[in-house]
Amino acid sequence: MSASHAAEQTEEYRPVFAGKVLEELQTILSRYPTKQAALLPALWVVQRERGWISDRNMTEVAEALGITPAYVKGVVTFYTMYHQHPVGRHFVQVCTTSPCNICGAEGVVKAFLEQTGAKDAGATSPDGKWTIIEVECLGACGFATPVLINDDFVENVTPEKVADLVKKYR
Amino acid sequence: MGFPHKPHLKETVVLSQHFGDADARTLKGWTKRGGYEALAQALKMTPVEVVEVVKESGLRGRGGAGFPTGLKWSFMPKEKKKPHYLCVNADESEPGTFKDREIMRWTPHALLEGTAIAAHAIQAEVAYIYIRGEFTEPWTIMEKALAEANAAGVFGKIKIVLHRGAGAYICGEETALMNSIEGKRGNPRIKPPFPAAAGLFGMPTTINNVETLAAVPHILKRGAAWYKGLSLSSPKSMGTKLFSVCGHVQRPGNYEVTMGFPLKDLIYDMCGGVPAGRTLKACIPGGSSVPILNREETERTLLDYEGCVAAGSMLGSGGVIVFDDSADMVYQIMRLARFYAHESCAQCTQCREGTAWTTKIMERILSGQGKMQDLDLLLDLSENMTGKTICVLSDSCAAPVVSGIKKFKNEFEDYIAGRRKPVMVA
Amino acid sequence: MTDGTINLIIDGVPVSVAPGTLVIEAAKQAGVLVPHYCYHPGLPVAGVCRMCLVEIEKAPKLQIACATTVTEGMVVKTQSAPAKDARQSVLEFLLINHPLDCPICDQAGECELQDFVFQEGRAGTRYGEYAKRFNPVEDFGPDVLYVPNRCILCTRCVRFMDDVAQEPVLNVSERGDRAYIGIHPDARLDHPWAGNVVDLCPVGSLLSKDFLHKARAWELDKTASICTGCSQGCSVTLDTRDEVVVRVRPRSNLDVNRYFICDHGRANYRWMNRGDRIEAPLVRRDGELHATDWAEAFAKVLGILRGASGKAVALVSPGASSEALDLARRLLSAFEWTGAFQVVMGEEAPLPGVPNLALRAERAPNAKGAEQLGYTRGYDAAVKAAESAAVVLVLDDPDCPVQTAGALIYAGTVLPPETACRAAQVVLPIANVAEEDGTFVNRDGRVQKYFQAKPAPGMARPAAWVLGELAAALGVAEARQ
Repeated sequence: MSASHAAEQTEEYRPVFAGKVLEELQTILSRYPTKQAALLPALWVVQRERGWISDRNMTEVAEALGITPAYVKGVVTFYTMYHQHPVGRHFVQVCTTSPCNICGAEGVVKAFLEQTGAKDAGATSPDGKWTIIEVECLGACGFATPVLINDDFVENVTPEKVADLVKKYR
Repeated sequence: MGFPHKPHLKETVVLSQHFGDADARTLKGWTKRGGYEALAQALKMTPVEVVEVVKESGLRGRGGAGFPTGLKWSFMPKEKKKPHYLCVNADESEPGTFKDREIMRWTPHALLEGTAIAAHAIQAEVAYIYIRGEFTEPWTIMEKALAEANAAGVFGKIKIVLHRGAGAYICGEETALMNSIEGKRGNPRIKPPFPAAAGLFGMPTTINNVETLAAVPHILKRGAAWYKGLSLSSPKSMGTKLFSVCGHVQRPGNYEVTMGFPLKDLIYDMCGGVPAGRTLKACIPGGSSVPILNREETERTLLDYEGCVAAGSMLGSGGVIVFDDSADMVYQIMRLARFYAHESCAQCTQCREGTAWTTKIMERILSGQGKMQDLDLLLDLSENMTGKTICVLSDSCAAPVVSGIKKFKNEFEDYIAGRRKPVMVA
Repeated sequence: MTDGTINLIIDGVPVSVAPGTLVIEAAKQAGVLVPHYCYHPGLPVAGVCRMCLVEIEKAPKLQIACATTVTEGMVVKTQSAPAKDARQSVLEFLLINHPLDCPICDQAGECELQDFVFQEGRAGTRYGEYAKRFNPVEDFGPDVLYVPNRCILCTRCVRFMDDVAQEPVLNVSERGDRAYIGIHPDARLDHPWAGNVVDLCPVGSLLSKDFLHKARAWELDKTASICTGCSQGCSVTLDTRDEVVVRVRPRSNLDVNRYFICDHGRANYRWMNRGDRIEAPLVRRDGELHATDWAEAFAKVLGILRGASGKAVALVSPGASSEALDLARRLLSAFEWTGAFQVVMGEEAPLPGVPNLALRAERAPNAKGAEQLGYTRGYDAAVKAAESAAVVLVLDDPDCPVQTAGALIYAGTVLPPETACRAAQVVLPIANVAEEDGTFVNRDGRVQKYFQAKPAPGMARPAAWVLGELAAALGVAEARQ
């Protein structure tokens, strides 16, 4: 049993889909002929509201859409953008696939790790503010190196520019 | 235009005419520039008539497969007995490709207009635009444009829905895209059945790429003959294409040229060539899933479907990745193999295990522990991974590996023989 | 073809099949087994393992036989070099992460990976010194263990739970070579039919905890039998090792249970191995039961039957064979006869994906057979009637609360200390379902035969033999009307 699961068992669960958010879900459902098709959008809503998607959240989504929690979990673990654990306040995705790689992407990653104090890619910095990960092609190869900081898509990042970027978000 | 640079003289600016022009994103700005006239025209034609125009134009899919668009539309049932769907593939994740994002963030209405025309042509009431999750800026812009257009009632009965992906390259495969919209894991489906028979939610469906649909309004307005005329070489490749040039070039960006344009001119002329003091070593002309060309091949390639095949590669998505002599081909091929290993959906044995094994062998070579047999092993694995799976991700991993070993064998041998210092730790 | 069949050639053998037949099924007609993993006739097609790639003339690429429908004049080659190379490569890819667990893996000896690698795999590995993917063993629920390292991701288990059990509690988690079969933390694999995933798993990834490390597959003798768990009458195989039943598995029967049995039936075998059996005939002498031989036992019974008249009551188990039930009735044909049985009831648990298949509420295999032979469910009334009957015959019903002024004859497998049947004049030891051939009639009236899997202990004999000998002696053992 995961630690997060155990923690949730001690407090009462606060549903995500209530009030305005529930209305939002109804709107989403109206766009598709099946309830299941609302799964990806519904998961985005959960992640927007809670920062990540827990096993308990998955059960809630499953109940709302008439599918099983196992099914939801299979979908969540397939897509890399859904977080299954809490992440730092700033979630940084740096593309290191070949087109950006030959333009110095790995140097950008290193700069982020140094500037934020996160030890390795995939880890969160000690102050909990930054999680830096390497990702695959972000579709902005001509603007190397692109970096997603939460929902902000920053282009043409070089190792020299990282310090200012980190300062900006701090 | 070679956005973010100014348009080059040799470009044929059609789709990219308003790149960089923020006013063109608004409904008012778009209609001022002649937008939505083609849609109005199309809605007065019958679906079959619209299909015929697009067929006549010779437009081929710009996502990578190059399938004739009009022909694809004609596969949909003429007699409408069930709901029809249109899916727009805005999942753009092919390394080296970044054209669809530009179309969406500078000319969102162009895409919406092309979508609506296509939906009309295939008698679809609903069109889903599948935008990859990482495209946060294009998403916001598309959302705004869609809201504006809906408020103005531009699309009539056609409903356009934006659907956000969540980080999976494989969802760019048409059947995986449909599964993803349906709320499932992005697993490609076995064919048959084909989408036009049973696709999204089991209904007749057509899937088109963003760039393909962005060309449709132009074809309707200016005519099929005009589009057909935009061809420099082969009679089978018409129109313009946005080539996303990236890597070791002085001016990376999207360049719009007529089909058949020489790759040499694109790189040296329009992009300013490789950085000063360096020489071109390799080029992948169509996104990372196509074979790598060496310098000699690159310089004689004509950029259309047939021309790229003649040079030993494929046009693919038109993502031109340029490598100069400072590039470590072995490392980059490893990085591409790792890309495919990350993105494999895990259904087919060859892809699931083969992409990871290929990556491991490459890493070992780069850590100085490779052996000469590893090259034969890589070629054998690549052959076993080609033509045997549900989709072509497995084949796509094999393409750079096979062409890389063939054309840059000396770089591999340098690592194996210890002439080059290891750059990785095993 | 004008007659509606499709003619094609598979490995040089011409076959004719119905339109819509899959190549992999048509191949069976040609006597060709196309190696496969993810395909299963009881599950929807997945086409993911890629093992069944075959060469089809005029097709540019190899095609998977499990998803290709036959066409007229198709020429299929399963043994051509490209097809064999493709299969060999699939096996090689499967083995790079699959651990060399055969010495400690339950599936050894009945493992499809072993079988096909032996048949057409590479002799040695090329994976060398690379590390294999590792995940710890997981407990999925009541009887199922999941060993992710051995999993070949054929997804049979997921498809079974999704489409046949219709309780999607298993998923594929993650992507690429990190993928494994997952289950949500709140869920357990406790569906009444979930145990089938263990059979479906081609390798030793999904294991039965009940069977864990109990026996090696090649030590097992397999016997065709019929499940005694309920009135559905699923076909099963009893696996015995050294004459002890160690496992029950489904046997395919397209008309009854297709390829599946429920967990209740699967676990329902331990009683077949009970050690506290009656091993010799017993007769009452001087107020106590004494062991004796069949001759004396028979003589005693015949004496009772010939010397009594009036009412006779037969209280029988609905798990007795039809042969035994028939002979028991004949044996008492000279009397005013009442025959009755009672059935333990439980909750019904259907398998939604298969028509007319469920764990039935009636937890006995031959209630219908008993009914057809004239026995009723008026058990309590019969027990009451037995009090004043001249002869009472209890057949394999040790819990029967029988009390009679007449003569009690007990034919059973066990004689527990507190059973009322200890008051019997004669005790006849009989075989249980694993120790005899016999017939059951299921709830739909289907007559099904089961076969002997192990010897009966001591002097115990099949009830049909015991009652048959007695009936012959009385001259009532003629062929049934």
